[in-house]
Amino acid sequence: MSIIEVNGLHKEFLIAKRETGVMGAIKSLFKREFTKKEAVKDISFSIEKGEMVGYIGPNGAGKSTTIKMLTGILVPSAGEVTVNGIIPYENRQANAKNIGVVFGQRTQLWWDLPTIESFELLKAIYRVPDKRYKENMAIFQEILGLDEFINTPVRQLSLGQRMRADIAASLLHDPPILFLDEPTIGLDVVAKEKMRTFIQEINREKQVTVILTTHDMEDIEKLCQRMVLIDHGQKVYDGEILAVKERFGKMRTLVVDLEETSKQLYVTGGALVKQEGYRYWIRFNRDEISASDLITQISQTHNIKDLTVEEPVIESIISRIYQEGFTEQHETVHI
Amino acid sequence: MGQLNMYWTFTKKAFLRSSVYRFEVWSRTGSNLIFLVMWGSIWTALYAGKEEAAGVSFTAMLTYIVVSKFLDGVNEAGTPLWDIQEKVRTGDISLELMRPFDVPLRYLFADFGSVAFYMLTALLPIYFLLFLFMDLTLPTDGFTWIYFILSAFLGFLIRYCVEMTFGLLTFFLVETGGIEDIFYFAMSLLSGSVIPLWFFPGWLETIALYLPFQSIFFLPISIFIGEINGSQIFTSLGIQFFWLVVCYLILRLVWNRASHKVVVQGG
Ligand SMILES: Nc1ncnc2c1ncn2[C@@H]1O[C@H](COP(=O)(O)OP(=O)(O)OP(=O)(O)O)[C@@H](O)[C@H]1O
Ligand SMILES: [Mg+2]
Repeated sequence: MSIIEVNGLHKEFLIAKRETGVMGAIKSLFKREFTKKEAVKDISFSIEKGEMVGYIGPNGAGKSTTIKMLTGILVPSAGEVTVNGIIPYENRQANAKNIGVVFGQRTQLWWDLPTIESFELLKAIYRVPDKRYKENMAIFQEILGLDEFINTPVRQLSLGQRMRADIAASLLHDPPILFLDEPTIGLDVVAKEKMRTFIQEINREKQVTVILTTHDMEDIEKLCQRMVLIDHGQKVYDGEILAVKERFGKMRTLVVDLEETSKQLYVTGGALVKQEGYRYWIRFNRDEISASDLITQISQTHNIKDLTVEEPVIESIISRIYQEGFTEQHETVHI
Repeated sequence: MGQLNMYWTFTKKAFLRSSVYRFEVWSRTGSNLIFLVMWGSIWTALYAGKEEAAGVSFTAMLTYIVVSKFLDGVNEAGTPLWDIQEKVRTGDISLELMRPFDVPLRYLFADFGSVAFYMLTALLPIYFLLFLFMDLTLPTDGFTWIYFILSAFLGFLIRYCVEMTFGLLTFFLVETGGIEDIFYFAMSLLSGSVIPLWFFPGWLETIALYLPFQSIFFLPISIFIGEINGSQIFTSLGIQFFWLVVCYLILRLVWNRASHKVVVQGG
């Protein structure tokens, strides 16, 4: 059995309708109306020990909701979850010992205690033996540089420091599984890089299984081989990141600036996807037409002032999938 | 054993954390003493030179107020209602469901730490001096002291259960003003913290006697000043124990409903 199994997972929230005005308030005392919100619809995946999986999707896709079900603080409406052989919501405390969790949006450290005190508290909560505690702390000090701020109360830490403290705290009890919900949110470039190195290292050295959600595709590209892409609570892709790149990587975008007096541009072999004034974005499939052919074609009827060819980075591939769905783009629509 | 050790760590950390908020200790002590002076003066005026009222001597009444303010200080050093409400609203408590400990128990043990700190650094020294320099009645035998401490501790636990329960109701309510009003009314009046129950009109006294709040102030203080004595002491302790069990069960029920709500509805 895989270390994490998710099968036909559903979660719907009932949201009480807030009535407006006094009459509404009185009415709601007697009868509350609810609207249903399906946050996760029929998601299945399984993750093997030691894997590092990017769990991505646009805002409100249901990522955090899924993570919460994996931690046991949300009960699924339907479907099955097992984490390290345990059903999280049935056995929350046992599950807690197997997992480390970081919610980038909020700290789980004790707000008014110095950072070190939070660690000592966690040591007692998870019954980490002295020796392991010292060893782990030494590693965290070294890679995450905790000693800079170990005596500062958590509420006074900078975002980057807090995030470093949070991830160290999540790993103090050597959990075999780590859930990271936006661990790089709000970090500067250097801090992000450090965080990634750290995650990579613990995955490699300790074989920690990691599920990572993020809106920074660089995180995914640098850390994960596999990604699960969800949208509106449904899984749209599950597989290698390389495969996505292969599949969508053939698409290029030619950006041309034309002379200001030019008439409207028409091209064949590419699709005009955007236009701002005299700047045109033309998407084309590398296998069907070469950039130079396109340029030659345009320059026969128009004067080109400037041009660039954009290669799709994973970032733009994903954002296109968000916008247009996961279907292969073969359009050679002529505009 | 390991369990207890873990909760004990919360006590130690809370003790240390309290030392960070030295200003809070001072301001809390200040307001505690202001209220002591205020209620002391009110009762002095009410007695108006009389030796006795409702069969209770002026000295005993003054002692009642002083002990009451001491217990007030002890109880207020725990996690206050507004803080529990805040932790519910921000989702801090919901997130603690992810930890391998029991949430209400962990808050209780943390409260032990904050209370211990406040008692050692402020309450005990100050009230020791008050008893030294004021004309107050002290229990003469050691047993009364022991019963008082036991009774006050039961009262503390009951207050904890009640306050936590009221705080957790925030999970179910959009508007918590009503809850706060009821809580503070019960804590200040029905508990007998500023007016002993024997001065209540009959109907109110009856109500108060059938509620758990008298266990927090009225019963332990009455034991202290000797108004409750002999076998009555055991009746009182029995009543307190009964209410502790009831309040604890209610807290458990509300906590189960609250955590159920968190895990089903997401808070
Ligand atoms: N406790 C809740 N009650 C009601 N609806 C909720 C609750 N939690 C989440 N939702 C809804 O469920 C959907 C999924 O939310 P979720 O937080 O899982 O998204 P996400 O993928 O993590 O998004 P983001 O990238 O913005 O963090 C959203 O539409 C959200 O409004
Ligand atoms: Mg989220």
